[in-house]
Amino acid sequence: MLRFALNRALSAGLMLLVVGTVVFSILFLVPGDPAELLLSSDGITASPDAIASLREEMGLNKPLLAQYGEFLVNALRFDFGVSLIDKASVGDTIATRLPRTIELILAGLVLAALTGIPAGTYAGLRPGRRFDRIASAVNAVLISLPGFVIGTLFIYIFAQFLRWLPAGGYTSFFTDPWLHIKQLTLPAITVGLHLFSIIFRMTRASVLEMRGNDWVRTAVAKGLSRKLVVRRHVLRNALGPVITVVGLQMGILLGSTVLIEFIYNWPGLSGYLVTAVQQRDYPSVRGVILVVSALFILINLMVELLYSMLDPRIRLE
Amino acid sequence: MTDRKNPTHITRRTALTYIGAGMAALALPGQSYAASDKTLRYGLSTFPPALTPWNNTGAASNYVKLCLYRGLMGYDSEAQLVPEVAESYEWVDGNTIVFKLREGAKFHNGEPVTAEDVIFTFTSITAEDSSAYLKSSFESIDSMEAMDATTVKFTLKLPSAVFLSELANYCAGIVWKGSDPEDPIGCGPYTKTDEERGVFIEVTAFPDFYSEGEPRSGKIRFTAYSDQNLRYAALETGDVDVIEYLPWTQFDTVEESEELNIAATVSPFMLALFNVEKDGPFKNPLVRRAVGYAIQRQDVVDGVFAGRGTPLLGIPNPPGSPYDLSDPSIEYSYDPEKAKALLAEAGYPNGFSCRLLGTSTYGMHQDTAAIVQAYLQMIGINATLDLPDWATRVKKGKDGDYDIAVHGLSGFYNDPNALWPLLHSGPSNYTRSFGFASDRIDDLLERGRAAMDEAEREEIYKELAVAYYEEVPQIPINWRGQAHAMQASVKGFKGFPGWLNTSSGFSFDTTEPS
Repeated sequence: MLRFALNRALSAGLMLLVVGTVVFSILFLVPGDPAELLLSSDGITASPDAIASLREEMGLNKPLLAQYGEFLVNALRFDFGVSLIDKASVGDTIATRLPRTIELILAGLVLAALTGIPAGTYAGLRPGRRFDRIASAVNAVLISLPGFVIGTLFIYIFAQFLRWLPAGGYTSFFTDPWLHIKQLTLPAITVGLHLFSIIFRMTRASVLEMRGNDWVRTAVAKGLSRKLVVRRHVLRNALGPVITVVGLQMGILLGSTVLIEFIYNWPGLSGYLVTAVQQRDYPSVRGVILVVSALFILINLMVELLYSMLDPRIRLE
Repeated sequence: MTDRKNPTHITRRTALTYIGAGMAALALPGQSYAASDKTLRYGLSTFPPALTPWNNTGAASNYVKLCLYRGLMGYDSEAQLVPEVAESYEWVDGNTIVFKLREGAKFHNGEPVTAEDVIFTFTSITAEDSSAYLKSSFESIDSMEAMDATTVKFTLKLPSAVFLSELANYCAGIVWKGSDPEDPIGCGPYTKTDEERGVFIEVTAFPDFYSEGEPRSGKIRFTAYSDQNLRYAALETGDVDVIEYLPWTQFDTVEESEELNIAATVSPFMLALFNVEKDGPFKNPLVRRAVGYAIQRQDVVDGVFAGRGTPLLGIPNPPGSPYDLSDPSIEYSYDPEKAKALLAEAGYPNGFSCRLLGTSTYGMHQDTAAIVQAYLQMIGINATLDLPDWATRVKKGKDGDYDIAVHGLSGFYNDPNALWPLLHSGPSNYTRSFGFASDRIDDLLERGRAAMDEAEREEIYKELAVAYYEEVPQIPINWRGQAHAMQASVKGFKGFPGWLNTSSGFSFDTTEPS
C-alpha cells in the first residue's frame, strides 16, 4: 500500500511537471498580447508606446527561460503569481472560486446519485417493463440535450416566466443562505441532469448484468429477502463501474462546467479560466490548469482506492 | 450485523436525517437588511478588467471609473460638455486656457483638489513609461502652471478645438498627487467599498462630493453578466435596475413593456478594413471602392442587428456631430453593376480570391463577415472566412495577416476629430487598414483639430469626407444600435447619444432607483 502510494505520488508529480511545461509553452505559441488586449477594447486602441510600457510592467519582456524557471520554482511553493491584468493573486482567486465549482458539482452529483442509482436499479431489475422503457426514453433525451440548452430553458421557464427563482448570480452562503440556495438550485439541477443520465445508464446496465449471476440465484434460493439480495449482492457489485465513471466525470466537470457557470453567472473556476484565456492572462491560465490537473489526478487516485475497498480482490500493487 | 437497539449508534440513515435537518435549518431565511439607503443595481456586460484611471480598459470599466474619478471637464445629464472638477475655464488665447477649480472639491481621503494635483495628473499621463490612453493627446500640453491653489494655466503647443472634450474623457480623471500608483485616489461621486473580482463591484456615495445633493443613489452595485440573454433576464426578473448592451433582439420587447424603459442610440459602426501593403487587389483603391458598392447594407442591419441600426454610406461622422457632412455624390449605394465595373477597371474583370478576417468571439462580427462574404461572392470576389478568437484577431489585424477584415469601431465624443485614431496614419494597429497612409487625410485631420473657427472646421471636415471616399481608408457598413434598458421606476439615468454613449456614467449623479 505504501509503495503503491509513493509510486503514484511520484508519477503524479511527473505528470504535473509535464502539464505545467506544456501549458507554459503552448501559451506562448498562441497569438495574442495581453498588454495590447487590455488596452484595446470597444474599437479603441492605445498607442504602441503605451502598450510597450504595459508589457514592461507586466514582465513580459523577460527572457522566456527566466519566466519558465520562475514559474516552476513558484509553483512548487503553490505560488502561482499574480494576474497580469489587475495584479490580483492567482492563488487567492483560485481559492475563492474552486470551492464554488466543487459545490456546484457536488450538489449536482448528490441530486444525480440520489435519483440515478435507485432509478437505475429499479429499471435494471425489471428490464423492458414500463418504468424501464419510460426512464430509458427520458434518459436518452437528457443525454443528448446539452447543458446550455437546458440552462437557457430553465432560466426562461423558472426565472423569466414563473419567476420562482433568480435568473442567475451568486451570493455567499454566509451573506444570505436562502438566496444562496435559490441561486444554486437551477445550476445544480442542470449539472445534475447530465450526471443523472450517466449514473442511471451505468447503474441499469451494471445491475442488469449482476442479477443474472449464479451467486444472486443462490442468495435468492437460500431464502434471503429480495431487498437484501439486491442491496448486498447485486448493488454492491454493480456499483464499482458506476463509481469509476462518476469519478472520471467529476474530473471532467471541473473544467467543463464552464457553459453552465456562464449561463447562470456562477462565478466558479471555469469561468475564471475562460476569461483568463480570452485576456491571455498567462499566470491565471497556468494556475487554474495546474490545480485542475492536480485535482483530476487526485480524484482518480481516490477512485482507485475506493474501488479496492469495495472489492478486496483488487490488490494495489 | 449492526446493533439496531443501540441508541447511540448512528446509522447512515440517521446521519442523513441529521444532515438534512441541518441543511434545512441553515436554509431558513437569513436576517433581512433594513434598506438604509437606495442602492442602484447595474448589470455590466463584462467585469471591468482593471480600474486604472488613465488606461482605456473598455466600456464596462468606464462606468465604474466615472464613479470613482472625475476630470476637469465632464457632461451634464443632457450630455452637454460642462466644467466638472473645474468650476470655470477661460481661453486666454488659442493656445492658453486657465481653469478655476471648484472650491471645496475633495479627494476621497479628504484632501482638497488643488492645482498641484491637476499638474501631477497630466504629468503622470504623459510620463515616458505611461500606458495612458490619452498620452499622445495630452502631449499637446506644452506647460502647466499653478497660478494659485485652485487656478491652473495650460499652455498648448498648438491651438486645439477638442482639448476640452479630451479633458472630459473617462481616462482623464484627476488623481491626488500623493497617491500610491497601485491605488490612485480620485474625487468622483462614489468610493469603492466592496468588490469580488469577476463578480461585482459596490460603490458608496462620497459624502463630500463637490456637487450639492448628488449623487442621488446611496450605493451602486455593479454586477457582471457576460451572457447578454441572462443580463436581460436579470432585468426582467427585477434582479437589476439598469443594464447596458441590451441584446438587439430584445429592443422590441422592452419598447412595448410597461415595466421597462429603453434608452437607445446608434453608436459604434461596422466597417471593412484592408491590407493595402500587400501586393494584391486591395492595394488598388478602385477595388476597395468596389467593395463599397457591393454590399447591401440593410441586410447586415436586419440580419445581424435585428433591424436596429442604419446603413452607413459615407464617412462615419459621429451621430450628434455639430457638422452635417452627408453628400450623396461621395456616398456608397448598393450597386453591384458599378462594383463589377470598378473591378474590371482595376484589372480584375473575373474577380479574385482573398481571406476575410473576423472573429468568432463576437457573434455580430462573425455574422457581418458572413453577409459581406456572400455579397463579395456576387461580384466575383471569393473570400475565405478566417474567424479566430478575439485575441488572435487583434494580433492578425496588427500584423496585417489578412486581405480584408470586418470590424466594429467607435470613438469617444461626437466630433469628427474623434476619427483621428481611426484615420490618421501611425504605427500599425487593428483599428486601421494595414499599411494605409494618406498625407491628404493626415493634413485635413491636423487642420481640423487646430482650427478654432466653427465654419472653417466644417469646411475642413467636408473636405475630409471627400478624401474618405476617394482614398478609401475603409469601407463603412452600418451604424449599430446601442441601448440601456431599465426598470420604468428608475429616474434620472440617461443613455448619452452617439459616441458619448460609453460616457453615460456621468448620469449616475442624478440616477435614483425606486
